Amino acid sequence: MCQVDEEYQEELERADGPSVSKKCVKCKEASAAVVIRAGDTYCRSCFKEYFIHKFRAMLGKNRVIFPGEKVLLAVSGGPSSCSMLSQVQEGLSQKAHKKLRFSPGIVHIDEGGAVGQSAEERQRKVSELQAVFKATGFPFLILPLEQVLDLPSSVVETALSPLEPPPSAYKAAVDRFNQTSSSDYLPPQEREEKSLPDVQKSHTQLLQQLMGSAKTLTAREDLLNTLRQHLLVHTARTEGYSKLMLGDNCTRLAIKLLTSISLGRGAQLAQDTGFSDSRYGNIISVRPMRDYSAKEIAFYNHMFNVPAVVVASLDTKTSEKASIQRLTESFVTKLQTDFPSTVSTIYRTSEKLQTACRSSSSADHSDRCLLCVCTLDTAVEKASAFQATLISEQLSQTKSLGCRNPGQSPGPVKPESAASTGQCCSSAGGEDCGRATSGGGCCSLTTETTDLKSLLCYSCQLTIRDMSSVDHLPLYILSEAQRRQRRAQMRDEISEFLLDDGDEGIYREV
Amino acid sequence: MPAQCSSCTEKRAVLKRPKTGHSLCKECFFWAFEEEVHQTIVAAELFKSGETVGIAASGGKDSTVLAHVMKLLNERYSYGLELMLISVDEGITGYRDDSLETVKRNQQQYELPLKIVSYEELYGWTMDAIVKQVGLKNNCTFCGVFRRQALDRGAVMLKVDKICTGHNADDVAETVLMNVLRGDIARLRRCTAISTSSEGEGVVPRCKPLKYAYEKEIVLYAYFKKLDYFSTECIYSPNAYRGYARTFLKDLESIRPSTIMDIIHSGENLSVREGVKMPVQGTCSRCGYISSQALCKSCVLLEGLNRGLPKLGIGKHHRLHDKILSQQPLTEKEERKLKSVDF
Amino acid sequence: MAAPIAVHLEFGGGAELLFNGVKEHHVTLPSQSEPWDMKQLLVWIQRNLLKERPELFVQGDSVRPGILVLINDADWELMGELEYQLQDQDNVVFISTLHGG
Repeated sequence: MCQVDEEYQEELERADGPSVSKKCVKCKEASAAVVIRAGDTYCRSCFKEYFIHKFRAMLGKNRVIFPGEKVLLAVSGGPSSCSMLSQVQEGLSQKAHKKLRFSPGIVHIDEGGAVGQSAEERQRKVSELQAVFKATGFPFLILPLEQVLDLPSSVVETALSPLEPPPSAYKAAVDRFNQTSSSDYLPPQEREEKSLPDVQKSHTQLLQQLMGSAKTLTAREDLLNTLRQHLLVHTARTEGYSKLMLGDNCTRLAIKLLTSISLGRGAQLAQDTGFSDSRYGNIISVRPMRDYSAKEIAFYNHMFNVPAVVVASLDTKTSEKASIQRLTESFVTKLQTDFPSTVSTIYRTSEKLQTACRSSSSADHSDRCLLCVCTLDTAVEKASAFQATLISEQLSQTKSLGCRNPGQSPGPVKPESAASTGQCCSSAGGEDCGRATSGGGCCSLTTETTDLKSLLCYSCQLTIRDMSSVDHLPLYILSEAQRRQRRAQMRDEISEFLLDDGDEGIYREV
Repeated sequence: MPAQCSSCTEKRAVLKRPKTGHSLCKECFFWAFEEEVHQTIVAAELFKSGETVGIAASGGKDSTVLAHVMKLLNERYSYGLELMLISVDEGITGYRDDSLETVKRNQQQYELPLKIVSYEELYGWTMDAIVKQVGLKNNCTFCGVFRRQALDRGAVMLKVDKICTGHNADDVAETVLMNVLRGDIARLRRCTAISTSSEGEGVVPRCKPLKYAYEKEIVLYAYFKKLDYFSTECIYSPNAYRGYARTFLKDLESIRPSTIMDIIHSGENLSVREGVKMPVQGTCSRCGYISSQALCKSCVLLEGLNRGLPKLGIGKHHRLHDKILSQQPLTEKEERKLKSVDF
Repeated sequence: MAAPIAVHLEFGGGAELLFNGVKEHHVTLPSQSEPWDMKQLLVWIQRNLLKERPELFVQGDSVRPGILVLINDADWELMGELEYQLQDQDNVVFISTLHGG
């Protein structure tokens, strides 16, 4: 069927051929060095001014970071986060026009263990990064991802969210800051840096087992993102930071937005790609680089010698169709070449979204996803994609539910019903059936997977589905899962005595 | 080793379901496919007993399967619906005339009344004639706009209460991606809705009973059921940009088959920020059809064709609507701009 | 006949990984009947320098989308892209923007 069934505005503008105009559009004097987008050609110094201004403007416009606040910069070593680091340095320097007034620290997570790098390689990268970080004079931490294995369960409990500060709070904080610190404010002091703690081989092995239990690169990347986020949030909390600064740029966010949609993360899009993300309650993530394209950053770093350290990631040198994340990246970059407004159009979409609020700020944390801590989007609504998939699963595996009887159709399916049929092998997909014949231990594993599923959002369920076993998940996740399951059980048992539905009512009164 | 059906565990499986990964035999697949459409219809309360429902029939795989399943379910579950087929004849020689032959055969096979509305009859223009004037660049815009209204006009003539269309899960997922790529937040929000309520005079509510059915399964269903359908692509190639989204979707599906449903789930759970401007629906002051402008797109396009200014409806020329309405002549400059057509 | 020319090539942002991790290359392009342009340079790089996965560096006759090119420190979009005629002692930089962050 022809899909052109609705009117659309004209097609997106196609790329023109190379244009050779050589003057800067800003000062109209110097010869141009960068084409930011079609027609926008800047000379070196106007480009620098524009770049620096944009960073301040982004922070100024959003008013999320308060003067004097401790802000933790997550620096992967890639161009974007290193550029962010240099902008913070620039903004805090005495000569800065409108000085930034927060107090920064740096955290780098060494993911070499998950990516399969040798200890020597990891050490080499770490010392390169150490040199970059030392030069800033900011306090910094370099943590191996292996530390995620030892996190406490408190990471995935959302700490009680702070109340939304009233609009006047920002101004009050500025005033306070100006009174107290205009003269005696000291630049952040260099702290004795903590060098990379020795990583136990056994820890690295555990991490690798965990990564290896994800059968697809798509799931592996998703899992790695989750673990990284947990370690970042935990570090910010224990080190006394209240904001986490992430280096996602506009190009990256456009890719992330499209990836998130493909991964079933529609409900979380606004938090995944917006300026700030408050799902972790007292630690708010911000993305000040979201206005810069990857091209702007690459040019700036090259021209003004911003050091960056290339760190291999899971999908480095993989083929285009290795994972959903990887495919989306190549799709967006290719489309961007043909239609130069692609990235900015997708990016603008992200600005018009908000997180679907099912009383997310006040909700009990058992309503949050165990892994990504977003508000659960798995309420089985009538006539939804989620419901339709559950029906398909049910209809594809069982005749015993009486639905063979024409005229008598089964009622809406509950998510648990797949498990209750006792045919967990087939419910978890074809691959597990193969395991059943060889190992026989499949059923217990899959049952556990199914149990875990009820604690996860739609998308994290997909990730878990792609895992051969959840046994290798870190203890803090598994024990929190058990706690929530016990709690849910208890709630079921006492539900008939409660007037309100579950314990939400109790929580709201507190 | 041939896989066994995971449902009856007796027969040999003939397909692996993309949505769930299960392997099913032919009979169990038919049952599951039909049952799922039924569940969708029941859960979304698409129809009420006693309603007259027009099935948009193009002769292609989706609408042929839709007609077949609708008739079957209406009898199996006593929906109490009166079904009929509505076809649009765009006037494309070598394409629509052939596919309409398929629809006519379907009419006899399914014993359903058929109404064909043609562009020529409604607008005085066939697509062949339009392509002659506008070329192959924007022709799909004309066709899409005209078809939407044509279906409604046909539905009103037949006095049907609802129209159902053959949009499948792949189509919906693709539209979600398209609207993200175009930054069209208004459409992004509505495109996953399974049905539209009546938006105004002359607009018949529509629904998509196959919204959760994978294209792959629709093709297999038609194939195993040996349904008679027409499978040629339109000779006036559809727009290239949609092609990018389709290829991307197919690639995603090859990596993780559930992606199509996952994208629909995303679309269903999107939430738009307050304060984002949405177009206000009004009615066309010439024909009364719904429109967010003074003139509906269809009337503007038609005006352009009749005046020999085909670009009038392509792009943004809202300012000119008043002039057209009051029959004022356009300036020479305006005329020149609207005449030029890129081939 | 154009004389052989020496050019300085630089790969960054991860693009160097396709060249054994070597970022800087001083190369001499041999003499040929017509002057060297960027299009021919890409072919030359592919044949003589690229160590693995050519599709991650070139696609069609241009660089893979997402790889930026600077010629003598200016955006190659300002220089005519593939048609740019290389001069002796030119400096060409390739920066990958993929896997950034």
